[in-house]
Amino acid sequence: MELNELFDEYFEESHLQGGTTCCPGCGGPLFWRMALEVLGPKTIIYGDGPCAGCAIRNIKLPTYSIHFSFVGDGSTGIVAALAAKGRDDITVVSSGGDGAIGDISFGKISAAAERNENMIQICIDNEAYMNTGIQKSGLTPFGAWTTTTPLGKEAPKKEIPMIIAQHHVPYVATVSVAYPRDLQAKIEKAKEIKGFKYVHTVMPCPTGWRFNPAKSVEVVRLGVQTWAWPLYEIEDGVLKLTMKPKSRPIEDYLKTQRRFTHLSDEQIQFVQNEVDTKRQRLIENDGKRIIL
Amino acid sequence: MSFTRMMEGNEAAAWGAKLSRAEVIPAYPITPQTELISHIATLIAEGVMKAEYIKVEGEHTAMAAAIGASAAGARVFTASAAQGIAYMEEALWMPPGRRLPIVMCMVNRALAPIGGLRPDHNDSLMQRDNGWIQLYCENSQEVLDTIIMGYKIGEDRRVYLPVAPCYDGYFVSATATPTTVPAQDDVDDFLPPYVHEMYSLMPENPRAPPRAMNMAKARYEVQKAHERAKTIIEEVDKEYEKRFGRGYDGLLEEYACDDVDAVIMTMGSMTGTARDVIDEMQARGKRIGLLKMRGFRPFPTEELQELVKKYHAIGVVDRNNSYGSAGGGVVSMEVARALYTLDDRPLLLNFHVGLGGSDVTMRQIEYMADKTLEAVETGKVEKVIDWVELLDLGEVM
Repeated sequence: MELNELFDEYFEESHLQGGTTCCPGCGGPLFWRMALEVLGPKTIIYGDGPCAGCAIRNIKLPTYSIHFSFVGDGSTGIVAALAAKGRDDITVVSSGGDGAIGDISFGKISAAAERNENMIQICIDNEAYMNTGIQKSGLTPFGAWTTTTPLGKEAPKKEIPMIIAQHHVPYVATVSVAYPRDLQAKIEKAKEIKGFKYVHTVMPCPTGWRFNPAKSVEVVRLGVQTWAWPLYEIEDGVLKLTMKPKSRPIEDYLKTQRRFTHLSDEQIQFVQNEVDTKRQRLIENDGKRIIL
Repeated sequence: MSFTRMMEGNEAAAWGAKLSRAEVIPAYPITPQTELISHIATLIAEGVMKAEYIKVEGEHTAMAAAIGASAAGARVFTASAAQGIAYMEEALWMPPGRRLPIVMCMVNRALAPIGGLRPDHNDSLMQRDNGWIQLYCENSQEVLDTIIMGYKIGEDRRVYLPVAPCYDGYFVSATATPTTVPAQDDVDDFLPPYVHEMYSLMPENPRAPPRAMNMAKARYEVQKAHERAKTIIEEVDKEYEKRFGRGYDGLLEEYACDDVDAVIMTMGSMTGTARDVIDEMQARGKRIGLLKMRGFRPFPTEELQELVKKYHAIGVVDRNNSYGSAGGGVVSMEVARALYTLDDRPLLLNFHVGLGGSDVTMRQIEYMADKTLEAVETGKVEKVIDWVELLDLGEVM
């Protein structure tokens, strides 16, 4: 078989076409390659304009977008149209970035969760407005440099998955492209559940986080291993840690990215304490119902 | 079965949506539109109407859900007013460019801060540039009929544009007038199911209009669709009249215009009042007629140019204002542009009334008609822009 035929076959099966407009090392195309394998061809993908929209551009399934201030609501319309047509064989996936979900479309996501819209809502979280040139969002972590937080962000990252879980939705999960099997198992589970499913992934961004694009997977793997980005799922309100790595110092993660180079030892210690507290609480509540 | 009874504009609109078999209704309440969406909710709850009703958390979402549903192949209906229209403005630019034939009632209400809950036309008129077809309705019956016609117009493959039937809050939305609700079978016969030839999001057969690489060309396509829509609106109106016995003369209606020297031009609910005033004045021998502006978008330029040849003066009644504009209200500025290319054009007067939702009285209409006739007699316009409400006009006519 010729090499190009191999590629053709691959792109046919993966529901992707060759090429991407994303930056080198972006986690977006990687995420979709993994997700589409389990989502299958009967899927409509709705997504926003900037980075998260860029990541769905080479998908060979029906995609639709409006603008990043419309995450969760355009897809609500698609879900309603499918219901009106009696099409229950199609999975609707709505995708948004951290700026959309954490900031401008936050109310939209909350309302879609409250209405329990039958869709999988993905958060492609690269922790800042990267498409406009690295500006702080509500999901930028404490201390991170961006062009609008030149001295580092003062406030912590919003805990969106936990906030969504409090809407009594059937399924919430955090995933990482460094753990493909975990990621695919969670997407597969989300596909089988009716109602609003929320899957949040912190996405490596060499452009905005300032690291070598070849190291993308390593960087986010460190994020999981240091508990900066713990992997869990919340099914019917019950928390389950799906990855419980032996903790590594947060500094191992922070020092891989130049957005954190200005942090003082004291600030690093502060981040470590925050991560430790969060880890401890997660472990304490593992297997327990955590929604009010 | 067709039936006739007294009905408020909002209830008539709900019946319009029901008879059109709207499949998805994303809506958010705002006075004076609220009864409309409550009526729809009731029709659905009673099993009279079958639709996916999405109780969204704001107008921005209402229009986004409308866009998603329309692109996914559903017939969509929604409605808003004033601040709601302003809030959804970002989304309102999408359906024309995406060629999605959504129908949304704009229940006119004055915008904050210098307004109340009552109507003026600035809320819908500020959306004049974004590509929505705007048809202004005078009473409940026209609202119901225009919604059904709106789908027929917007879903025509030569058009593919969203349509906004606009009607005044309270004066139309909450005023009961005799309304005939046609039989579902007859409407089904008139309005076939929605099929968009350019769009499908269904995985078995996806298709989409090509992405615009030349922005000017893509915008020109929307402009051409508007120009074609003028003919389609006339066609649909004639077909509707033939089938249901009611028509609205397309974009522009002449009322009592035989053998008159001048006309006043009105839009929306004030037209009903103006009809009575004109009848009364003609009975007194005054040579004044009435033009009802029904279609503001697309603007009936050629039709207007043809009609005004017969008149020496035209008094445009603007229930809106544009601060610091070149002169007068939005409608009068458009009329001025339409008349400018005529060699022999009538005198043009502009009156501001009903701003911020105040009532347009018979006395005010009589005053405006008199002023227009006065211009014919003297051959000149004394006051180009007249803020009628600032005058003390004395006794009610």
